[in-house]
Amino acid sequence: MDLSVQIGSVRLRNPILVASGTFGYGREMADIVQFSQLGGIIPKTITLEPRAGNALPRSVETPCGMLNAIGLDNDGLAHFLEYHLPYLRTLPTALIVNIAGKSAAEFAELAQRLSEQPGITALELNLSCPNVAGGLDFATDPRLTFQVVEQVKRVCRLPVWAKLTPNVTDIVPIARAAVDAGADALSLVNTFVGMAVDWRRRRPILANVTGGLSGPAIKPLALRFVWQVARAVPVPILGIGGITTLDDVLEFLVAGASAVQVGTANFFDPTVTMRLVAGLPEALASLGAQSVQEIVGSLQA
Amino acid sequence: MTTPPRFFHGTVTALENVALARGTYRLRLASSELARAIAPGQFVMLRFPDRLDPLLGRAFALMDTVRDEHGQPHAIDIGYYVVGKMTRLLERLRPGDRLSVWGPLGKPFPRYDGVRELVLIAGGIGQTPFLALAQRALGLVGYSNQPARRECEQVRLVYGTRTADLLASVEDFQRLGVVVHICTEDGSAGYAGLVTDLLAELPRPQRGDYWVACGPMPMLRAVAKLAQDWQVPCHVSLESPMACGTGICYSCVTPVRSLDGWDYARVCLDGPIFDACQIAWDKI
Repeated sequence: MDLSVQIGSVRLRNPILVASGTFGYGREMADIVQFSQLGGIIPKTITLEPRAGNALPRSVETPCGMLNAIGLDNDGLAHFLEYHLPYLRTLPTALIVNIAGKSAAEFAELAQRLSEQPGITALELNLSCPNVAGGLDFATDPRLTFQVVEQVKRVCRLPVWAKLTPNVTDIVPIARAAVDAGADALSLVNTFVGMAVDWRRRRPILANVTGGLSGPAIKPLALRFVWQVARAVPVPILGIGGITTLDDVLEFLVAGASAVQVGTANFFDPTVTMRLVAGLPEALASLGAQSVQEIVGSLQA
Repeated sequence: MTTPPRFFHGTVTALENVALARGTYRLRLASSELARAIAPGQFVMLRFPDRLDPLLGRAFALMDTVRDEHGQPHAIDIGYYVVGKMTRLLERLRPGDRLSVWGPLGKPFPRYDGVRELVLIAGGIGQTPFLALAQRALGLVGYSNQPARRECEQVRLVYGTRTADLLASVEDFQRLGVVVHICTEDGSAGYAGLVTDLLAELPRPQRGDYWVACGPMPMLRAVAKLAQDWQVPCHVSLESPMACGTGICYSCVTPVRSLDGWDYARVCLDGPIFDACQIAWDKI
C-alpha cells in the first residue's frame, strides 16, 4: 500500500499531519507519539516578536468541540531559531513551520529568515488567526491574501502553504488569490469564530470574548470548504477540521484533500495519530485502492 | 523491576468508585503501567472513550497507588468532587466500566529531605494529592519505582472545607501519624473559619518547616502571603482547566515571575507544583 502523498514539490510519507497550535513544538509529544510515523508536524505559530498571548480563560469546552483564544502565545522567531528549530529539524518527519505576521512585510521577513535555515520542509502562513486584534486576519480579503503570499514567495525558496479562514462569505476568491500569488498548497480551514456565555454572571466565558471553534463539531463545515475549494483550484489541499477517526480522514481525502491535519483530537486523544496511520492501509484496501493518491478527490457529486 | 514507561495512554477498567464525603469520591482504576510510573503531585487525564461530549479530558491528581497481593502497584486512586458535566458522569461509574486515561503528567512534589515539619494545607478537594505525599515524606511508601525513604521529621495537615459533611479521608491521614487540624467555614466541625485563620492560631513555623498548599485560588493566594510574612518556604499545587494535560494547548497557563517582569507558564508541564514566590499573584 502506498501511503505517500505529493504536496506540490513535497513528498510526505503519509497524509496524517498534526495541525499548528495542537502539537506544541514537538518536544512535548516526544514520549507520546513516534514522529517517524507522522506525515509531518506543524509547530505552533511563531511571530517575529514574542507574544504573551491572551488573558485567561483561554479555552472552553463546547458540545463536541472547544473554543480557544490563546492569542498566538509564543516566544518569537529568535527563540524558535535558537531553541525549537535545532530540535525539530532532527525529528524523522517533515517539518512545516507556521508563521504569522502583522503585515505582508513582516510575513516576508519571517519567511526570508526561515528560508535560510536547513531542515524545514515548507512554510505555512497563518493568514487567519481569529483571536488577535490588529488586522491579522488577512485571509478575509483576497487582495491582502495575494499580497502576503506574493511577498513571501518573492523572498523564500521553500514551498508555501496558505492556511485560510472559514469566517468568510465566499472562500473561493480568497483561495484563488492565494494560488495566483504562488501558494503551493492550501490548508483548509482554521477555526470558526464563536463564543460561549455564562448567562448567570452575564459574562462571556473567554477573556477574549470570542474564540475559535474546533473539534468534531466543525467537521461537516470544514468538509464543505475542502470540497468547494478542491474543485476550484489546481493546488493540493490539506484538510483540517475536527478530524478524530479514520472515517474522518477518508472523508476529507475523498472530498478533495491530499492530506489532513489532526488538530484538537491531539488534545483529547494524544496517540490518535498513531492509530490513524496504522489503520489507513486497511481503510484504503476496503475501497480497492492501492494508494492514498488515487482516492483524493474521488467524491462523486 | 524494569523501568516503567514514561507515558501511558489507554483504556482502563474502573475497580471501585466509592463515596468519601458528600459529592466526593475515590475512583480506583486498574493500570499497572500508571501505578508504577506515577508519583505524588502528578496527575492523569480522564475521558469517556466513546463520547464526544464531554469532549476533552479532565485532570485528576493522584490520590494514591494501590498494590496487589504481591506488593506490586496495579491500580491508581484519584479523588473527585462532583461539580460539572464530567464529574456527574463519573459519579455514575460502576466497577467494570471503561475510561480513557493518559499520564503521568506534570512534575511530582520535590523531595522534602531534611525538613523538620511538612505542613500540608488543603482546601476542599485540594486534599487529594496529600495522602500520597504524606506517605512518601514519612517513608511509608515508595512511588515511581523508588524505594520508600523518610524525608521529614513529621507531617501536619491543616484541612478546611465549607461544612462538615465535605470532610474526606481524615482518618486515612491520622492512621499515617499525620497531625490533623480541621476547620469548616460554618463551624460544623473543628475550628470555625478558613484554613488561613486556623494557620494563624497554630504555633508559628520554625526553621526547617515547609508548607505545601492545594486548594482554591483565593486560599492559595492567602497562604502564599502568610508564608511570605512568616518567611516559611511554600509550594502551591495549582488547579487550572486543561484541554490536553500534555503541554500542547496553552490553555492552562499561569503568570509567573520572570527576569523582565512576568510570563505565562504551563501548569500541566511546568507545574502543577510551583514555588509560591514564583507565581505572579498580582497578575492572576
